[in-house]
Amino acid sequence: MQRIKFIDRMAAGRVSRRQMLQAAGAFGVGTLVLPRRSAAAEVLTCLEWGGYDSPDYFQPYVTKYGAQPNFSIFAGEEDALAKVLAGFAADVMHPCNYSVARFVNAGVAKEIDTARLSHWADVFPALQSAEGVVMDGKVVMAPADWGNSSIAYRPDLMPPEFAADPTWAIFYEDEYAGRVAMTDNEMAIVIGAMVGGMPYDEAYKLEGAALEAAAKEWGTKAVNTAKFLWTDSSEVQQAMASGEIVAAYAWNDLVANLRAEGVPVELAVPKEGMFTWFCGLTLLNTGKGDEQAAYDFIDAWLSPETGKALIEGSGYGHANIKAFEIADPQAVANMGITDPVEMMKNSIVFKTPTDAVQEGFNKVWGDTKALKY
Amino acid sequence: MTDLTASEPAPPARDREALRRWLRGYALLSPALSVTIAMLALPMAALLLLSFWTQSGFELDRTPTLANYAELVRPSAEPTVWFGIPFHLAYPVPAILMVKSLVMSLMATLAVIALAYPMAYFLAFRVHRHKALWIILITIPFWTSYLLRVFAWKVVLGFNGAINSGLKALGIIDKPLEFLLYNPGAVVITLAHSWVAFAILPIYVSLEKIDRSLLEAASDLGDSRWKRFRRITLPLSAPGTVAAALLVFIPTVGDYVTPTLVGGPGGTMIGNLVQDLFLKQNNAPLGAAVAITMMAIIALLVALFLWAIGYARIRSRRL
Repeated sequence: MQRIKFIDRMAAGRVSRRQMLQAAGAFGVGTLVLPRRSAAAEVLTCLEWGGYDSPDYFQPYVTKYGAQPNFSIFAGEEDALAKVLAGFAADVMHPCNYSVARFVNAGVAKEIDTARLSHWADVFPALQSAEGVVMDGKVVMAPADWGNSSIAYRPDLMPPEFAADPTWAIFYEDEYAGRVAMTDNEMAIVIGAMVGGMPYDEAYKLEGAALEAAAKEWGTKAVNTAKFLWTDSSEVQQAMASGEIVAAYAWNDLVANLRAEGVPVELAVPKEGMFTWFCGLTLLNTGKGDEQAAYDFIDAWLSPETGKALIEGSGYGHANIKAFEIADPQAVANMGITDPVEMMKNSIVFKTPTDAVQEGFNKVWGDTKALKY
Repeated sequence: MTDLTASEPAPPARDREALRRWLRGYALLSPALSVTIAMLALPMAALLLLSFWTQSGFELDRTPTLANYAELVRPSAEPTVWFGIPFHLAYPVPAILMVKSLVMSLMATLAVIALAYPMAYFLAFRVHRHKALWIILITIPFWTSYLLRVFAWKVVLGFNGAINSGLKALGIIDKPLEFLLYNPGAVVITLAHSWVAFAILPIYVSLEKIDRSLLEAASDLGDSRWKRFRRITLPLSAPGTVAAALLVFIPTVGDYVTPTLVGGPGGTMIGNLVQDLFLKQNNAPLGAAVAITMMAIIALLVALFLWAIGYARIRSRRL
């Protein structure tokens, strides 16, 4: 409908230059052949995780502007960073505590003025000053959501011994070949090294020959054991619902979503440790959108209503303390630990590798995948 | 001055006519030519240029160097063994994926020809009425997006997909077959299906052009049906078949969408590596070098193939 209307208006000469440019821009030709528009006219562009583009998570923004921002969905932060560095003009990015430094180091992030965020005061104080939120005394990420990375499994399809003593080792054992799904991420190597007895604090910063050896041993095993390496959560949810796979590296939302469908699924606490991450919004300096709109978008993410939607819909935690007061008490109870500080004490918080380490991991993981046959 | 110009002999009308024709030829060609230059030649030039630069951290080092190409062939004492083939390379991934992609594409191409030839044959020799309708029917798969067709194969081959549920309902199997999806075989099947319609048309045109009196003559002189096919139909349809094979082989080597969706961890091809280098490993120059090398290898192989089958001879025979 929208399209036909546009053509009609264009034929009637009722399309302004700006609208015409916008339409051209949608096909990627705008910047090439047409003069640049003023910055204020641009729609906000956000780099977002799949699923987070639902208006439930930024309703106040939609209310104020009457429309959603543009989204570009990424599978991993490194993809998003490569895209930005290749010239993609995004205003807001959704990195996590362990990955925000990559954006800062690459020179594409800018400082957030917390005074412009109306909900900042309600953010857990521990998160306000956490590593990854503040870098060199500047706030570079407004913390929004937090949760776990662990093993989601089908209790009806997995042996009871696993439930009694869950372990990440299942992703590296022939016994589970073709029945589990790892994430398409270098974490597969890190976790493998942990299964081999190395503590996380050493495994996350492997380099050089040690990294190559770990990739050869654990990366190859992970790639060979996995039915597939998942990049979008709906893929792994479908496979898990059908019983194609019995266990997967997953976040809390998979458990919440599948339970809502009536599929029995549990989030394990593996003996090697469960991971905790917290993510947030970072302002990028590459965008052409209105800065106030970017702040409004971030503020919308920090609102307690968004937190309520996150807690009830995905089983994730939220950075706003008030979110837990207005959310369904049953959903809050299902989460278990609702204080991020408490959660971080009881699990492994993802750490930020240096750029060199991250690039090393990117390379060996890409190579490991390519060599599978 | 005016005298001079006046005394100059007028150009012969023939030359002017030739020039006019030449200009008109280019004018007719210019839309296609400008699109080709803008969409193919310029990006290719950019890619080539990029492949001589290097990536250092987040920055591009613009000093021209052959380092990226050297990286692709840098030898190593310790070979990486893949399928029993030792690769004496320090960075064997591109070489291995290149070989793998070529093999997978070759299999897909053979499958496409095997599927398309009988269909084209039927269309050329057995269909006498509503030919246009038949041709339109063949193109129906193209009315949906390429992506949807690939996804459809995911549904057909999947764990709870059409094949598995069908076999289960018939009681032939009690556990879903797991070897259908997420492997190189699934990629070959999907590629074969996606490209078969491209192959039918050139083969059909070749077959359609065969002079029917040659076939009659062969029969009259005592050739059996099979001999007649082998000695007349097959050689005369060779140009179309070769064209179809190239039309399928060349683009499928570099495909990355199909392997991404149905290939699983083991079904990756060289296109996936290029994508990974550009979009994930943030090493566009190396990705460009891999892409250029891939193009050069494909061009070389195609030239060798055409030379080996004596394509020039086949073409001249047709005239």
